[in-house]
Amino acid sequence: MSQTIAHSGAEAHAETVHHHELSFFHKYIWSEDHKTIAIQYLFASFFFLIIGGLLAMGVRYQLAFSGAPIPLIGTLLPKWLVTDAGAIQPQGYNGLVTMHATVMVFLVMMPLLVGVFGNFLIPLKIGAPDMAFPFFNALSFWLFLVSGIILLSSYFAPTGFPAAGWTAYAPLSANGAYNGSQAGQSLWCIGLFLNGLASIAGAVNYITTVINMRAPGMKMFRLPLPVWAIFITSILLLLAVPVLSAAAAMLFCDLNFGTSFFEASHYGQPLLWQHLFWFFGHPEVYILVLPAMGLVSEMLAVFSRKPIFGYKAMVYAMVAIGFLGFIVWGHHMFVSGMNLMLSSTFSLSTMVIAVPSAIKTFNWLGTVWGGSIRFTTPMCFALAFVSMFVIGGLSGIYMASTPVDLFIHHTYFIVAHFHYVIFGGSLFGVFGAIYFWFPKMFGHMMNEFWGKVHFVLSFMFFNLTFFPMHNLGLNGMPRRIADPGLYDFLKSQQPLQIFVSLSAFGLGLSTLIFFVNFFYSMFKGPKAPRNPWNSTTLEWTLPSPPGHGNFPVTPTVYNGPYEYSVPGMDQDFLPQNQPAPKTARLAVH
Amino acid sequence: MSFWRSSFARCGLIVAVLLAGLGTCWADPRTSNLWWLPENATEGGVYIDQLIYFILFLTGAVFVLTQAVYIFFIIKYRAKKGVRATYSHGNNRLEIIWTAIPTAIFIGLWGYSNHLWWDVLHSTPPANALQVGVAAYQFGFSFQYPGADGKLGKADANFVSNDNMFGNDPDDPDAKDNFTSSTLEIPVNRAVHIRLDSKDVIHAFYVPQFRVYQDILPGRIIDWVWFTPTKIGKFQLACSQLCGSGHYNMKADIQVVSEADFEKWYQEKAKAVQPQPGAKLSSITETKDQ
Repeated sequence: MSQTIAHSGAEAHAETVHHHELSFFHKYIWSEDHKTIAIQYLFASFFFLIIGGLLAMGVRYQLAFSGAPIPLIGTLLPKWLVTDAGAIQPQGYNGLVTMHATVMVFLVMMPLLVGVFGNFLIPLKIGAPDMAFPFFNALSFWLFLVSGIILLSSYFAPTGFPAAGWTAYAPLSANGAYNGSQAGQSLWCIGLFLNGLASIAGAVNYITTVINMRAPGMKMFRLPLPVWAIFITSILLLLAVPVLSAAAAMLFCDLNFGTSFFEASHYGQPLLWQHLFWFFGHPEVYILVLPAMGLVSEMLAVFSRKPIFGYKAMVYAMVAIGFLGFIVWGHHMFVSGMNLMLSSTFSLSTMVIAVPSAIKTFNWLGTVWGGSIRFTTPMCFALAFVSMFVIGGLSGIYMASTPVDLFIHHTYFIVAHFHYVIFGGSLFGVFGAIYFWFPKMFGHMMNEFWGKVHFVLSFMFFNLTFFPMHNLGLNGMPRRIADPGLYDFLKSQQPLQIFVSLSAFGLGLSTLIFFVNFFYSMFKGPKAPRNPWNSTTLEWTLPSPPGHGNFPVTPTVYNGPYEYSVPGMDQDFLPQNQPAPKTARLAVH
Repeated sequence: MSFWRSSFARCGLIVAVLLAGLGTCWADPRTSNLWWLPENATEGGVYIDQLIYFILFLTGAVFVLTQAVYIFFIIKYRAKKGVRATYSHGNNRLEIIWTAIPTAIFIGLWGYSNHLWWDVLHSTPPANALQVGVAAYQFGFSFQYPGADGKLGKADANFVSNDNMFGNDPDDPDAKDNFTSSTLEIPVNRAVHIRLDSKDVIHAFYVPQFRVYQDILPGRIIDWVWFTPTKIGKFQLACSQLCGSGHYNMKADIQVVSEADFEKWYQEKAKAVQPQPGAKLSSITETKDQ
């Protein structure tokens, strides 16, 4: 790969830009620089990723070796979690399941996608010096961190983790007498409330920044797809998260102040919780996947050396997903006891929302078609994202069909489905994106060989862990059952359960390779050039890492984001801030 | 990019696909039945299974086709010296085609699903359907049968309490001769119409072999679930909605028996139970021997 770097007049001075020195506190702790905040989010999410992963290991251990004491650490764990012998108790298992999902959704995937890449990429990609509201941005991170600490602190409560599932269905979640973890559930409400505030602050910032702070020439249809994706995601966050925050506040009052929003015994409505939760929860699913779609689109274009196939179709598809995402929440509730006619209508909207996802998939295929593909680590993850997302998307069609949902609702089929979307999809996208933007974040390259090893192992173990779950679910394995061995119709599944668990342990271990590579490369990796991937977007015109304030001179944008392999040019990419040479034959589209 | 790198990546993909297949083979299909759906034991389940196989065929075909094209592209268009990528921003005609076709398929699939949902699974139960009340509580199920009159009588969620698990209307004489059981005994080939209520939190009525799932809500009586068992045998009812510390073991036995056996069982139970103002928790413990 050639290291040709395009310099425009302004960029040549980039390294010499001088900003007044910030104190340690303002540089690393209360930093208002979007790049530092992104890195703060990154490290915090890594910490939570490890916690969430360990919780998952606990879940898999219990399902495979129910009743066996946990080796080494079993007896050290608190009594709400394990028996005296050190084996996981059923209520402790409920807590593990609840917190694994809560941590992974709210403290890992949302901050990784929106907190890290939203923060890092938006200003750099649109040619802005920082976010519109830097103070808000820093506040958002610290609120997020506090929310995470509050959520996890229930580990130290005598009754332990909240144990009503991450969906916290009332009235189980609304009454300590029912759920047996009053303290944990209350902390869960407070944690999610603060987490929601952090998301709202972030969303307002991203939306304002994208609308108001684009460099001259950066029309909306010249925005790189990650920016579009995070922009649409932010709108979803702004409209969906307040509903969850409000619901969490109501639940907290039910738990602690004797109100009865959701308690049926006092004329509250249990289904109200589900409507509020899923009104947030379904847009949330798209919040968790849209940014990854954007990141992956960019990596596919860069490493295929091709313009993205159907740029506008991609944008319109994301807008459609964003809009339709608000009218499909009822498909989580086909069998909840709500009016059967609602199931019919939500089934229709759910079928329709599959269309934009199909459009995106076909356009990714079109992007790879005719390319000149470079199999770097980020590209491997991006390519895998598409395949895994296709599996996760297709398995969603089963649930969208109401009669089939009657059979597989709340089984391991759905567990397989959403892990294919959120892990095989979003987290693979994030892994790819970390390998891709690491040079820009830290000024060093990550190790390619170990990156590939990480990719191959996690791809294998991911599929070995989650694909058999489809079979478990179709065979009748319900979610959230601590000991499937107690059910006659599940006994024959035990060998497969053990297999899945062993694969999950392998998946957990393979992630360690990533962490070692990451932290080693941060200090010892080869120095990164400005534009190691020969990419077109604005962040690659800056030094790695870019200085405080980003662009010494506001760049002017002349081209769309993905002008690769333009005929009539020697180099195979045309940076956005570089006017096309006369010989270039740019397509009008 | 070097050939080694691209072949490295492809090898990884191939190994992964093989291993994923191996994982699914892990459990012996003959004993575990993990390859196919569990045996179906109701009339409605037949339609659901047909639909599942149809969707499996459809999504399977789409999956194989897209992945084959994708992998073909990935291999064919790997970077080669001196070959530049095709410069293309897309094709509007293709966009229209691959928007229109999925839309038509999905709407068609919805049409058929919706037909099953209304006309088969949630149609009006036959007049001779056996009425059974199902009460769920932390952590168990109880079942209520109509007495000699064949009627469960009126019920209302507001009447549900420790003493009246099924929410029977105390003023309705039809409910006076109802009796309870700790197992669900049902005759084969006769429709069973269940009426669900919960005393405390949300539970679920889930029997994989019946292809039936329904959440049981506190504060609301759900009376639209009915099914016709087609196989004699023992099944298990599992609570499939997380309901607290005892959720992992909340289940009940279901016995599907011949019409004659059911009649015998029913007559014995109906005779033994005196008319009472609604089922009590104590009467459940009395019938535990079942």
